[in-house]
Amino acid sequence: MKKILLISLTIAMFIFSGCSQKNPEVDATSNSSGVSTADKKADDISGMDTDKMASNGMSKNATAVEKAIAKLESNVNKIYFDFDKYDIRPDMKSKIEANAVLLTTMDAKNFSIKVEGNCDEWGTDEYNYALGLKRAKSVKESLAAYGVDKERIMVVSFGESNPTCKESNKACWNQNRRAEFKLLP
Amino acid sequence: MIKKILMIVLVSCSLFAYDATVEIVKKMDKLPKIALQDASESSVDLSFRKKFFKILVGDLRVSSHFNVVDEYLQSSYKGNLEENFLNELNLDLILRYRILFEYDGIVIAEVKVINAKTGQVDSERTYKISKHNRYPLLAHNIAVELNAKIGAPSIKWMDQYVIFAKYIGSKKSEIIISDYTLSFQQTVVKGGLNIFPKWANKAQNAFYYTSYNGNKPTLYKVDVRSGKRKRILSSPGMLVCSDVSADGDKLLLTMAPNDQADIYVYDINRKNLEKITSYSGIDVNGNFIDNDKRVVFVSDRLGYPNIFAQQIGSRSVEQMVYHGKNNNSVSAIDNYIVYSSREKSSEFGPKTFNLYLISTKTDYIRQLTATGKNLYPRFADDSETIMFIKYYNNQSALGLIRLNANKSYHFPLKVGKIQSIDW
Repeated sequence: MKKILLISLTIAMFIFSGCSQKNPEVDATSNSSGVSTADKKADDISGMDTDKMASNGMSKNATAVEKAIAKLESNVNKIYFDFDKYDIRPDMKSKIEANAVLLTTMDAKNFSIKVEGNCDEWGTDEYNYALGLKRAKSVKESLAAYGVDKERIMVVSFGESNPTCKESNKACWNQNRRAEFKLLP
Repeated sequence: MIKKILMIVLVSCSLFAYDATVEIVKKMDKLPKIALQDASESSVDLSFRKKFFKILVGDLRVSSHFNVVDEYLQSSYKGNLEENFLNELNLDLILRYRILFEYDGIVIAEVKVINAKTGQVDSERTYKISKHNRYPLLAHNIAVELNAKIGAPSIKWMDQYVIFAKYIGSKKSEIIISDYTLSFQQTVVKGGLNIFPKWANKAQNAFYYTSYNGNKPTLYKVDVRSGKRKRILSSPGMLVCSDVSADGDKLLLTMAPNDQADIYVYDINRKNLEKITSYSGIDVNGNFIDNDKRVVFVSDRLGYPNIFAQQIGSRSVEQMVYHGKNNNSVSAIDNYIVYSSREKSSEFGPKTFNLYLISTKTDYIRQLTATGKNLYPRFADDSETIMFIKYYNNQSALGLIRLNANKSYHFPLKVGKIQSIDW
């Protein structure tokens, strides 16, 4: 038995050593072609700061508009969703109706509406961006059904990038599965 | 008798590459036993030397092609009778290296491979890297070449850069280029929300990413060396570059020009957009398969996220996975599909997301992970290695699975949460 084991090991060693000799390495004593440069790719990686690249489009008299927007946004209801769902929950319909009333008032009707869809931390973020978008779209269609002009409403998804609550528990996840509203001049 | 044994060994070897969905684990006693010897001068900082050793020994272990001695050993570079054999360890190979620092941060590693059975130097080679902080790539390079030298299956993926986005706050993220262990990291995009980075080509000299900093999500292409970025296109709602064709000319995008997320092919040269999927629910995460003629993707068209495929130019959709009730991420190569599946309908169960591997040619399903949340799998070029995002104990990590060896590893991120990866 020992003999068989010894022969097996010898054969295994033969396979490994046999393979290694097929591609002999360049001796270091030879010229510089024997030097392997590990960073031939991307040896100069450059960075950018997109905050610095972004232009500041705020006008001098924006403050009054911003105040009006902030007041309206503070009164808009957030719309919450069930896990992995994008249909409007029955208990959220009255909230959307109230939002529709607010967003069609004289104070609000000149602003565009951005509906932001958000998700909890569960799942792959690529899927969550699509799920967040479906949530925002459901809210847009529901607002339109309550009389808000569709042309005023744009949708965007932030997936799981914008949690309001950062703890890892059920209450937090419930708060993060939501649609929020931003008003734009 | 010898012929019979040789036949058994050869048949065993050929089985290893047969079907990755079937677990066949190489036994450690068949692997060459190797020890590393650090022969650097004492003037080289000891903590640096130990970090270098840790990465190199880790590379050899992750390769799954060596039986690696973990002990940190020192020796002279020239070696002597004792150092060239290390008889008490019963080795096959010794990897001896000497680290030197040159001007301008250049790091050099002189490396000898010694046959520990004969005590003879089998080969000697010099490696260098231009910047001090990139020494992990130097170690990976040594491991890749040593692995090739013994004729083991390629581990060239160790040489590849990883690009990933990490969340650092609400609507704030950074894009980072790293090695596969996260030991080397360089931030390439910061400020605001910049996500879903994707290498633009195999040379890894450019990448795409989506910026959420303007009015609409916008896809940019960035040249790695110059840092110059070029706008590709924008879409309301969302925009993700999910895959790049083998020739780098076509992109698979998930975008929503009409508020509805669908998968599109974008031809970079012709600037032509072709809609691939058309469904009122969610279609996302497209991956080219079958020589870029077909797309595998995630859709909720059965009422839950699952994996489907569609020929480009055709409207018929084929269900690819018949397991699980929430399969929300996919990667494909050759005949293999790896996907992330939620284990239970409750979000509070002990099991969360696991990775599974299937072959389009067989009915086998192989579970690849067992603990933590395992998401966003990505095949290496060789189809034997999968990288993924792992969340475990409130920490985010790069996970790595070596299919043939049935081993997995994870490399934690110290700060932030990994959003997406590509390599």
